[in-house]
Amino acid sequence: MVDDEPAIHACDDWISITLPNWEAVLAAQIAFSTDSRWIEIVPGLDSIAVQFDPALVSPDDAVNMVRYQLDPAAPLPKDFHNLITIPVCYDEELAPDLDYVAGKLEIAVETLPSWHASRPQRVAMLGFMPGFAYLESMESCPAIGRLENPRQLVKAGSIGIIGRQSCIYSFDSPGGWPIIGRTPVRLFDPSRNQPTLLSPGDSVRFEPISKDAFDNWPLEANK
Amino acid sequence: MSITVLKAGLQTTLQGAPFAGHRHIGMPAAGAADCVSLALANFLVGKSLDAVAIEITLTDTLFQINEPCSIAVIGAAEYVRINGRDRPQHQTLKIKAGDQLDIGPSRPGCRTYVAISTEIDADRLLGGQSTYLTAGLGGFHGRALRKDDAILFTPDSLVTDLERTTPENLRPHFNDDHVLRFIPGPEAANAHAEVLDGLCLSSYTVGARANRMGLALEGSPLVASDSSNMPSAAVFPGTIQLPPSGQPYLLGPDAQTTGGYPRIAQVIRADRHLIGQLSSGARIQFVQTTTERATEIYREKLSLLSTWLGQIKLW
Repeated sequence: MVDDEPAIHACDDWISITLPNWEAVLAAQIAFSTDSRWIEIVPGLDSIAVQFDPALVSPDDAVNMVRYQLDPAAPLPKDFHNLITIPVCYDEELAPDLDYVAGKLEIAVETLPSWHASRPQRVAMLGFMPGFAYLESMESCPAIGRLENPRQLVKAGSIGIIGRQSCIYSFDSPGGWPIIGRTPVRLFDPSRNQPTLLSPGDSVRFEPISKDAFDNWPLEANK
Repeated sequence: MSITVLKAGLQTTLQGAPFAGHRHIGMPAAGAADCVSLALANFLVGKSLDAVAIEITLTDTLFQINEPCSIAVIGAAEYVRINGRDRPQHQTLKIKAGDQLDIGPSRPGCRTYVAISTEIDADRLLGGQSTYLTAGLGGFHGRALRKDDAILFTPDSLVTDLERTTPENLRPHFNDDHVLRFIPGPEAANAHAEVLDGLCLSSYTVGARANRMGLALEGSPLVASDSSNMPSAAVFPGTIQLPPSGQPYLLGPDAQTTGGYPRIAQVIRADRHLIGQLSSGARIQFVQTTTERATEIYREKLSLLSTWLGQIKLW
């Protein structure tokens, strides 16, 4: 069972724990969230980090807290996720890398929207920027590399894909993922009770919409 | 009730406490890049140590303060002038309505804090008011101040009788040679054995790409291992990443919450406020330490500062 022991690495005010997959990460996030001594609980794709105040907790004690709270035998939570539909416009004006991605997938550009929208996705984690979502498809997919030269500006709502993983940019930002569409909905709105549209574990379905629907998407539909 | 910005400078923002407890939804810390200077300045005007203040970066700025109040200035600025007359840092300064406050360029160092005795009216979200520039959130409409902006403040307690002077031994000394202590990061073990030796043996210079998100460092390149398949993992202010170029990248207060480059080292919490004073051209010597020693250093620093400031948190 030694192989199942997660790798734990301590810095002076945070600890990184490597876990087998994002489901285990989610279970760990739920376990850690009951202890207010963790200032931050930050999931990665196959790891999670907890931050503490070293004025109050020593790194050694923090490692012991992690060991105590991590229970590899705990069953994974099942009914925690919502199904969220995200409208996406795959128009080439909003999707500069349609040709590149279709080429990698060896499919016709016109079929890429229906191909992408037919693949069920799970939110694996949020990170990078407020509300930025990393999605994972259950189905296999040829590798699609990141762009050789990252863009200085990727527009908010852009959908990127690098194989089984897709992402949604929540704000305008630099970025290196090939972009195949854009959603008009807001991923992050601090005035909402729950500021992020998506949470880890959520199932996501992409729904193709026309450029006209994108341009006329009502703002209140974001609420 | 306002302060008018007459000259905005390179990047002047409203910054106070960092956002806390929201990194799992991708919200970075933001907040004052040099929390020690912020705390010392706020204390001189009787504010809570992490209250929102004006953070000035590198170049000179000019403000007109339209109501009487007290202010304090602490940081890298070469001079502080009120109506053209030189005034000192590290003490409470009384302001009359219409006074002009001129903050000199940073020489050496990077940032200067102007604390004001009144409550600055800054955008509020997720329990904080600091500016997070990348997403345009918090502070002054989520952006850096521009000429003719009016920073509003609430009129209560405009004038206080408080007169304080920072004790000599607690005044930060600004220079462009820094020692930053670090703990090996989670990927240090997978990295080439000589990476951490290289980090310590080389002296690094802060490159031209230097902002609140992070600083590109220049020195003898380290041997980067292939990280193209590294799954995104948590990073924090003070994390040192090793991109394929072999030149380390030191993350700042606005660091994204997750990243895909090996985390070879983590600058210890006690030294992280120094990152806020690093500007292009500054030199850094990295020194490796242990988590036990880092905790001692952190607690010693808190205990020293608390003799003057009372209970304090650093970030």
